[in-house]
Amino acid sequence: MSAIDREGAEELLYREALALDSGAWDDWLALYTEDATFWVPAWRDEENVTQDPDSELSLIYYQGRRNLEDRVWRARSGLSVASKPRPRVVHAITNVLLLTANDAQARTSSSFAVHLYDKRSERTHVFFGRYEHALRNEAGDWRIAAKKIVLLNDVIPTVLDFYSI
Amino acid sequence: MVRYELGELIDDRPADGIFRVSRAIFDDPAIFDLEMERIFEGGWVFLGIADQARAPHDFFTSWIGRVPILVSRDGEGMLGGFVNSCPHKGSRVAQTMSGNARVHVCPYHSWSFDSAGRNKAIKLKKAGCYAEAFDGQSHDLARLPAFEEYRGFLFGSVSADVPPLAEYLGEAAKLLDLVADQSEEGVELVPGGVTFTYDGNWKLQLENCSDAYHFTSAHPSYIRLLDQRQKSNSQSAVKSVWEKTDYWKEDAEGDVQGGSFSFDHGHVLNWGRFGITDALPLYESAERLAERHGEAKRDWMFNMRNLTIFPNLQIAENASSQLRVIRPISADRTEMRTWCIAPKGESGDARRLRIRQYEDFFNPSGMATPDDTVSYENCQRGFASRVEPWLQGYSRGMSASRTGGNAFSSVIGLAPARSVLADAQLGDETLFHSYYRAWAQRMVGALGA
Repeated sequence: MSAIDREGAEELLYREALALDSGAWDDWLALYTEDATFWVPAWRDEENVTQDPDSELSLIYYQGRRNLEDRVWRARSGLSVASKPRPRVVHAITNVLLLTANDAQARTSSSFAVHLYDKRSERTHVFFGRYEHALRNEAGDWRIAAKKIVLLNDVIPTVLDFYSI
Repeated sequence: MVRYELGELIDDRPADGIFRVSRAIFDDPAIFDLEMERIFEGGWVFLGIADQARAPHDFFTSWIGRVPILVSRDGEGMLGGFVNSCPHKGSRVAQTMSGNARVHVCPYHSWSFDSAGRNKAIKLKKAGCYAEAFDGQSHDLARLPAFEEYRGFLFGSVSADVPPLAEYLGEAAKLLDLVADQSEEGVELVPGGVTFTYDGNWKLQLENCSDAYHFTSAHPSYIRLLDQRQKSNSQSAVKSVWEKTDYWKEDAEGDVQGGSFSFDHGHVLNWGRFGITDALPLYESAERLAERHGEAKRDWMFNMRNLTIFPNLQIAENASSQLRVIRPISADRTEMRTWCIAPKGESGDARRLRIRQYEDFFNPSGMATPDDTVSYENCQRGFASRVEPWLQGYSRGMSASRTGGNAFSSVIGLAPARSVLADAQLGDETLFHSYYRAWAQRMVGALGA
């Protein structure tokens, strides 16, 4: 085993983006570890996001991939008017930095812009912000153990789901 | 120009068993302007809670209709409500959602104001060659003509022509007590507010909060997930109160699973039986609350309760506890400012559970609210039609609605104007009548009779 390099980390981030963009949500889930944390903090004021998910509000906070599986199930269920027809999205990821890396784990920082077109409402929107990924080497496969999404434009136009950010 | 007569907009004929609302009141920009003038800028509006400005010189900003508002606690600890607009050129003086400032300096020409709204300085006043008459005018921030607190809930009005707040809230104040009394220390907003918009009329939100009929049809994905979570018994899934109760299930057994109360001035509650369950974060306080307030009031604190204080405050205590402030932007656009409201001093475990339940259900990034707001937008599209202008969504419960309260209200000394007792299938819609009767009263003189 060897440490992941920036190219390897970027590849993982781009694969995640493609899985979300193409609606390949099983592939997306497979990129996460079973105990993965998925966190979109809310904003406490104009300049600061919330820091402690246990005492402050988040837009989304999950510990455990099964919660992401629930979200995917709901989006596919046909039982949620907000989830169908599926909005078209493209995740553009830039400014990828490898912050730390060793054989077992790595951390990255990146910027994102998700362009979303919602045919039903005839709305186009761009959600943008920063990602922080914690990656973990699981028997030779690098997976996402934690993802923090700092959404900068946090006034949500009607709906925000896992594929919107 | 508003060309309608009231009877063309609201068809309220109790003797005939008819209550209908026209699509026009959701759709017509001229009616929206009238609502701003008559309802939001012509009466009491909820601004925020006192705890948002806890310490001397703390402030927060809010809205009354289109008017920006500053609520500030002065050096002596007194709260004041002001128009957040400099008397000089009209600029907003405070530009952030909240903060602490002994002095607010207008960013445009540096006129300054203390935390009691008093003008402290006018830049280069002596050199300004003002006429004598200038000193005869007040240069303070304009004080709201009406500003009052009830149990930490702050209301203001840009019109002086309002009844005392206690009279306006009436019996519905007792429902705010059920929130305020959950802790001896009062309530607070969990840090981190969430704001979202939807392209629909503000009254869609007003109604949805009180709409027991939509739950099983708009939220089946959420309901099914709860089922699945319960079966899997996973530690990582969030416990939900909906799993522990069945009052909302269409096959629930028992005659009375909840109902609605309507009050004067447009305030309404719909409620359901939850029971004292450990799926509610309040469970740790169950015994203490019963000792302090009696079992009946304690049990009511545990009931599912969706409260509207007309026109812009909603406190939903169901899957978790949410305080919502409705801010109409235009006839077809609304901004919702939302917070998790919680009793102060609850344990870390209880707070964590409350927050997790909240995010799952209430957030626009959660698994329930988007299915509401998208439905609002679908309604808004349909409101364009005048082929058949009357909506039929005000008819369920018509033959179940009673004048006054019932056994469930009297146990806590609550005297609503009207009430409905409901089994799990009734889905009362008569509580909406209270909204539109208040609406109609505000429009007196503005529309033809």
